[in-house]
Amino acid sequence: MATTWDAIVIGGGHNGLINAAYLARAGRRVLVLERRERVGGAAVTEEIFPGFKFSMFSYVVSLLRPEIIRDLDLPGHGLHILPLESTLTPMLNGDHLATWADHDQSRRELYRHSPRDAEAYDEYGRLMHHMAQAVKPILGMVPPDPTSLRPRDLMGMLRVGKHFRGLGGEQFHAMFKLMTMSSADFLDEWFETDVLKATKSASGIIGTFLGPRSPGTAYVLLHHYMGELDGVFRAWGFAKGGTGSVSEAIAAAARRLGAEVRTGAGVTRLIVQGGRATGVVLESGEEIRARTVVSSLDPRRTFLQLVEAKELPDEFVRDIGRFKFRGSSGKVNLALGALPDFTCMPGAGPHLRGAMSISPSMEYVERAYDDAKYGEFSRQPYMDIVIPSLIDPGMAPPGKHVMSIFVQYAPWNLNGGWTDAKREAFGDAVIDAIERFAPNIRSCILHWQVLTPADIERITGLSEGNIFQGELALHQLFFLRPAPGYARFRTPVRRYYQCGSGTHPGGGIMGASGRLAAMAVLEDGA
Amino acid sequence: MWRRWAGYMVASSYELIHDREYHAIRSSAGLLDVSPLYKYLVTGRDAARLLDRVVVRDVGASKVGQVLYTCWCDAEGKVIDDGTVSRLAEQTFRLTSADPNIRWLHLNATGLDVRVDEVSDSTAALALQGPNARAILQQLADTDLGGLKYFRLAGTKLRGIPVTVSRTGYTGDLGYEIWLDAAHALPLWDALIEAGTPFGIVPCGILALDMARIEAGLMLLEVDYVSAHRALVEGQKSSPYELNLGWAVKLEKESFVGRSALAAESARGPAWRFVGLEVDWDDLERLYAEVHLPPRLPTAAWRTSVPVYADGRQVGYATSGCWSPLLKKYIALAHLEAAYAAPGSRVAMEITVEHRRKQAAARVVPTPFFNPDRKRA
Amino acid sequence: MSHDAIVIGGGTNGLVAAHLLARAGKRVALIEQRADPFLAGEPGWIPPQLAAELGLPGLLWGRHADPWIAVALEGGGRLELFGDMAKSVEAIRRLSPADAAKWPEFCARMRVLAGVLEQLYVQPAPDVETRQLAELLRLGRLGLRVRRLGRQAMIDLLRILPMSVAELLDEWFEHDALKAAVGAAGVMHLRQGPRSGGTAFVMLHHHVGSPAGVFRPPLSNLGSLLKAASGVELHLGVAVERITVVRGAATGVTLADGRTLTAPLVVSSADPRRTLLGLLEPGWLEPEFARAVGNIKCRGVVAQVTWAVERAGAFDGLAVAPSLTALERAYDDVKYGRVSAEPWLETRWADGRLVAHVQYVPHTPADGAWDDPRRHALGDLVERRLLAHYPELRGVLKERDVETPRDLEARYGWTGGHAYHGELTLDQILFMRPIPGWSRYRTPVRGLYLCGSGAHPGGAIAGGAGRLAARQILEDAGR
Repeated sequence: MATTWDAIVIGGGHNGLINAAYLARAGRRVLVLERRERVGGAAVTEEIFPGFKFSMFSYVVSLLRPEIIRDLDLPGHGLHILPLESTLTPMLNGDHLATWADHDQSRRELYRHSPRDAEAYDEYGRLMHHMAQAVKPILGMVPPDPTSLRPRDLMGMLRVGKHFRGLGGEQFHAMFKLMTMSSADFLDEWFETDVLKATKSASGIIGTFLGPRSPGTAYVLLHHYMGELDGVFRAWGFAKGGTGSVSEAIAAAARRLGAEVRTGAGVTRLIVQGGRATGVVLESGEEIRARTVVSSLDPRRTFLQLVEAKELPDEFVRDIGRFKFRGSSGKVNLALGALPDFTCMPGAGPHLRGAMSISPSMEYVERAYDDAKYGEFSRQPYMDIVIPSLIDPGMAPPGKHVMSIFVQYAPWNLNGGWTDAKREAFGDAVIDAIERFAPNIRSCILHWQVLTPADIERITGLSEGNIFQGELALHQLFFLRPAPGYARFRTPVRRYYQCGSGTHPGGGIMGASGRLAAMAVLEDGA
Repeated sequence: MWRRWAGYMVASSYELIHDREYHAIRSSAGLLDVSPLYKYLVTGRDAARLLDRVVVRDVGASKVGQVLYTCWCDAEGKVIDDGTVSRLAEQTFRLTSADPNIRWLHLNATGLDVRVDEVSDSTAALALQGPNARAILQQLADTDLGGLKYFRLAGTKLRGIPVTVSRTGYTGDLGYEIWLDAAHALPLWDALIEAGTPFGIVPCGILALDMARIEAGLMLLEVDYVSAHRALVEGQKSSPYELNLGWAVKLEKESFVGRSALAAESARGPAWRFVGLEVDWDDLERLYAEVHLPPRLPTAAWRTSVPVYADGRQVGYATSGCWSPLLKKYIALAHLEAAYAAPGSRVAMEITVEHRRKQAAARVVPTPFFNPDRKRA
Repeated sequence: MSHDAIVIGGGTNGLVAAHLLARAGKRVALIEQRADPFLAGEPGWIPPQLAAELGLPGLLWGRHADPWIAVALEGGGRLELFGDMAKSVEAIRRLSPADAAKWPEFCARMRVLAGVLEQLYVQPAPDVETRQLAELLRLGRLGLRVRRLGRQAMIDLLRILPMSVAELLDEWFEHDALKAAVGAAGVMHLRQGPRSGGTAFVMLHHHVGSPAGVFRPPLSNLGSLLKAASGVELHLGVAVERITVVRGAATGVTLADGRTLTAPLVVSSADPRRTLLGLLEPGWLEPEFARAVGNIKCRGVVAQVTWAVERAGAFDGLAVAPSLTALERAYDDVKYGRVSAEPWLETRWADGRLVAHVQYVPHTPADGAWDDPRRHALGDLVERRLLAHYPELRGVLKERDVETPRDLEARYGWTGGHAYHGELTLDQILFMRPIPGWSRYRTPVRGLYLCGSGAHPGGAIAGGAGRLAARQILEDAGR
C-alpha cells in the first residue's frame, strides 16, 4: 500500500513548484508530478544544439513576486536575475528609437523624436506608477465573488470597492480607461511619436489574440511599471543560466523544504470519490493517493481532461469549455556564429545587450494582427529579440551567441493546421523580417529552432499553446478567471485545487497564483 | 567632477576644490554655463495671453525689455516650476524653466493664436556674475550696458556676436546672463575669459553656484520643492505662498491656471512657509564640544532633507544649506509650519555629530541672507 | 439679459432640453444652424418619462419596421427577423435549426441586460466616486435591482459588457447571417470591428427600447413633434460663433450674423469638443480638462447615402452584412484610412427617401481628402452593392446625395463626423461621458451646460441627454 501524501501537485511548472514549496514550508508532505523529464514547464533551459543553451519558451523574468524570492530564498538556490537594460526599435526609414537604463539618456533620445513626448513620458510614467501601485494589492488578493451574498464575498467586494474609491478621481478614471481601452487609443492620449506608441503597445499585446487597436490591451501596459514598485528598477531581466534556472531554483527550494519532485510522471486522471479528490492516476497506471490534489495545468486540462464530466456541474463545464486560449505567439531560437548588425545602429554596441523590438510602426503591428485574425501567421510579425549570451556568456560557446525571438502573431488554429512546411515558412518569415533591419542575420545563423503554438502545446501541454494558460482578456480576469464562482483556487470537486496561470492573477512568471493557491489550500485545513 | 543637470553633464567645479570659484562670484566675477536651462520662445498675437494663463505674475503689464521672475501652477494651485519670462518684443517672449514645459504650454494654448518653439538646444546661456561683471561685459560690448537696470534686458553685440544680455542671475549679486545662438557660445566663452582675466574672472561650476544661490535665498526645483507634475503624493506639492512666492501671485488677473485655488489659499493663509534659517554658532560649538571636537562645517552645499524641530516636535524640514564663507554663518533654506515661520522664531535643526543626531538651535531670518547693494545698483 | 437660457442646436436633445426648461418657466431661445433640421424618423429610444414631462402624452411613438431587418444571404434568399418571436424563429429555422432553438433564450437574456441599461439611462450616470449619502443610496438601489435579476443576469452583465460581440454570438449561434444581423448593432457608429472588446455592450445599447429579438433602435417622432411645438423661441439657419464668458460665467452667445443674445444659462447640444474647444471663448478651461476634452474619441466611420425614390416599397431595414468576418474585414480597411471595400449597408426609410447607413468610411482618407469624384465613387459602390443584393431596388433609386463623415461634420457640426458626438466605447460611457468626472452636464464655466448625445446616456437615446441635462440645470438653479 503506497503512502498517502498530504498533497499532490500536478505539473512542475513554476506555479506548481511554488505551490508545493509553500505547502511544504507549512509542514505538509507534498509530491510534485511532472510529465516531462525536467521541471519547469514553459520555463526551461535546454541545450538544443551542443554548447548552445536556450530559454526555450519563456525568456524574460519580470514579474516574479519578490516575496516569493524572499520567502523561498531563491537566490540561495541559485537564482540570479540580470537586468535587461535597453530597448531598441529599428524603424523602416533607417532611424531608431531607443530607451536606456539611464533616464536622461532615454529622455534625450525621445526628445529627438518629439520634445512634447519626452515631457509627456515622465508624466505618463508617474501615472502608470500610481496605477501599478493601485493594481498591486488586487494581484495579491483572492478575488471575491460579486454574485455571492456570503458575508466574506460581500466584504471582499467592499474591500475592492473601497480600494478603488481610495484612488481619487484622476487615478480611478485612469484605471477605468486602462481596463477598457486599446493600448493604441490610450497611448494616443499621451504621445504623438508613432514608433514609441508602437513599441509600447506591442508590449500590451504579448500573449493575447488582440491587436494594439483592440480594446482591453491598455491594461498590459501596466506590467512594465509593476516591477518598479518592488524595488526592481529595471523591470525586465534574464535569469542567469536561462529561465530554466528559475524553475530549478524553485524546485531546489521545494525539495529543501521537504517536497518530493518526480519527473517523467504524467498524470492522466484525477481520482474522485464521493465528490472528493483522493489521488491521481499516472500514465503508467500507478495510483497515488493524497488528501489534497492541486493542479497547475491550465483550466481545460485541469477540468476537462483530468476530471470526468459527471463530477462537475454542467454550467461549470460549459464555462470552462468557452474559456479562451487562442495561442498567438511562436518562438524562434537561433544559435549564432556572429552578432547581427543592425542598420540603424551598426556594430556590437550596448544596444545588443538589451531587447530589440521589431515594432517599427503602429500600422506594422496592427497589420501583423490582421493576418492572424483570419488564420494566417503574420507575414511581417512583431518580434521581441534578445541575445542572452551577451549578458550571460555561459549560454553559448565562447564568441558564439544564442538569440531568442518571441514572435507574434502565429495563431494556433492556423488555416489548414500547422505542418512542417508551414513551420519552415513561418521561420523564414521571421528571418526575412529581421533581415530588413539586420541584413547580415542569415549569415550569422548556425542552427535554428522554430516553435509554433502547436509545438508549444505539444511539448509543454499548454492548451492551444497559450503562454498565459488562457487569454488575459477583461472577461477572463479576476473573479471570472477561470470561471465565475471558481476564481478562489477551489473547484467544484472538494479537495481539488487549481494553481496555474489560468487562475487569478495569471500570466507571466509571476508565481502569484501558485502562492495564493497554497494559502487557499492551507486555509481549508489541508 | 560631473553632475547632472537637466540631462546634461555639467562641471561640479573646474578646479579640485570650488572655493576660488565661490569667492570669485562674490569678489570679482564668475563665468557659468547655464545652457541646460529649458528655453521657450512664445510668439504671436496671444503670446502674452498664453503666458498670463500659465504663470502667476502679470505678463501683459510687463514692458518690452523687462524680465519677470515667476512660478506657475497646476489647477490646484501647486507649483509646477519657476523661471523667468523675458519680453523680447511686444509679441515675443522667452520663458526659461528648470524642467521641460513645452507640453504644458501647448496644453494651455488651446484656441489661442500663439506659437511656442522650444529653443533649449539652439539657445545657449552664459552667466557672468560678480562685482566686476559689468566692467568685463563692457570690454566686449559695442553698446553701453551701464544703464541696464536690474531685471531688464537689451540686445547688443559682444565682440561682434549678437546676444541678448539680461541683468539677471542665480547668485544674488551684480550679474548678467547672456543669451545667444548656441553656435557662438564657445567663442564668446573664450572672449569673456580673455577680457575678464585682468578682472579676475574665474570659470565656475555647480558647487560654487549652489552656495551662492543659497546665500541669495533662491530655491531650486527638485531640491527645495517638488514639481506638482512630478510629485507622487499631495504632501510633496507646494503652493507659491508656501514657497515664499506669494508676492508674485496676481490674483487680480481674471483667469490663470490655479487661480481659484490660490485665491482660496490666500484668503485662509498658507499652511507652510519657506524661510531662511541661521544656525546658532554657540550652540553648534557646544554640541561639538561635547565630543571634544571643534565644529565641523560642510565644505559644500548640501541638498538633503533635514528635520527642523520646535516645541519638542518636528515642525518642518530644511532642504538645502551651506556654510557661508562670506557671512561666516551656517545657513539653510527650510519649509516650516506657518506658525513657526515668523522672522526671529526659534527652532532647532537636526545635525549629526559623530554619528549621533543632535539638535542645533537656529533662528528664522529673512532671505536673502546676503543682499549687496550692487545687485540692483 | 435677453433670455433666461440659450440652447445651442436643434436636434432632439436640444429641443427636449429647451422645452423642458421652457415648461419650467424659463424664456428660452434655441439656435440651430440649419434652416430645416432633418428630424423625421430619428433613431432612438424615448425614455418613457418624457411624454408626460413634455406634456405630450399619447403623441409620442417609437417603432420599428417589420421585419426590422433583412439580410441578403450569400447563396440568394434572405434572412428576415421580425418583432414577433415565433416568426423570427421560423425564419431562422430555415437556416439553422440549432440557432432557432437558442434564439428565444438569447433574446430573453439580452432583453434583461438591455433593461438594466434602460434603468441607467433614465437617470444621471452613477457617480461612483461619490461620498454623498443620497448618491450612495441611489447606487445601492441600482445594485440591488441588478442583484434581484438573479445570479445568471449578474454574471452575464459582468462578463458580457467587456466582451466582443463576435465572441458573444459565437457562443450562441452558428449561422453567419444571423450573427451579422445582430452583431452589426455592436459596431454601429463605432470605429471597431465585431471582434473588438466592448462591442457586446454597444449591441445592448442599440437594443435598448426595443422588444426582445429586435436589435436596432426604434425610430421616433420626438424631434418632429417638438419642432412644431410652441414655447421656445427658435432661431433657425444661423450658427453660433462664440459662447461668451465674463469672470468664469457664461453670459450668452454671439451669432454668425453678428447678433448677440445674452442669458445666464447656455445649454449646448453641440458635441463636447466643438462646444468647449470650438465655441467657448478660449482661456477658461484648465489645461488638463481641455486635454481630456480634446481626447474624446469621435472618429466618424459612417457615411450616409440618400436617394430620392421612384416609388415606395418595403425598402426598410435592407442590410448587406454577410458575416461577422465580413464586418471585421470592412473595419480593417478603415484602420488604415480606406473606405471598406465591402462596407456594411443598411437602409432606412425616412421622409419619402431611402437612406443607407454605410460603414466603414474614414473621416479623412489616408490617400487624400474627400472630393466629388471620391464621393461619387463611394455612391456608386454603395448603389452597386445594394442593387446586387436587393434587385427590387433596381430602377427605384433616383438622385442621390452622398455624405461622408467629413460632410456630416461640415453640415451638422459633429466633430469627426460622429453622429453620437463621441464613440460609445467603454471608456466613454456612464460616468466617463463626456469626460471622466464631468458626467453631470456641467462644465467648468458657470452657467454653461452640455445637453447633447456627447453626454450620458449618449447617442440613440432620443432626448435622453437633453432630459437629464434640463433636470440637472433646474436642480442647480434651485440650490
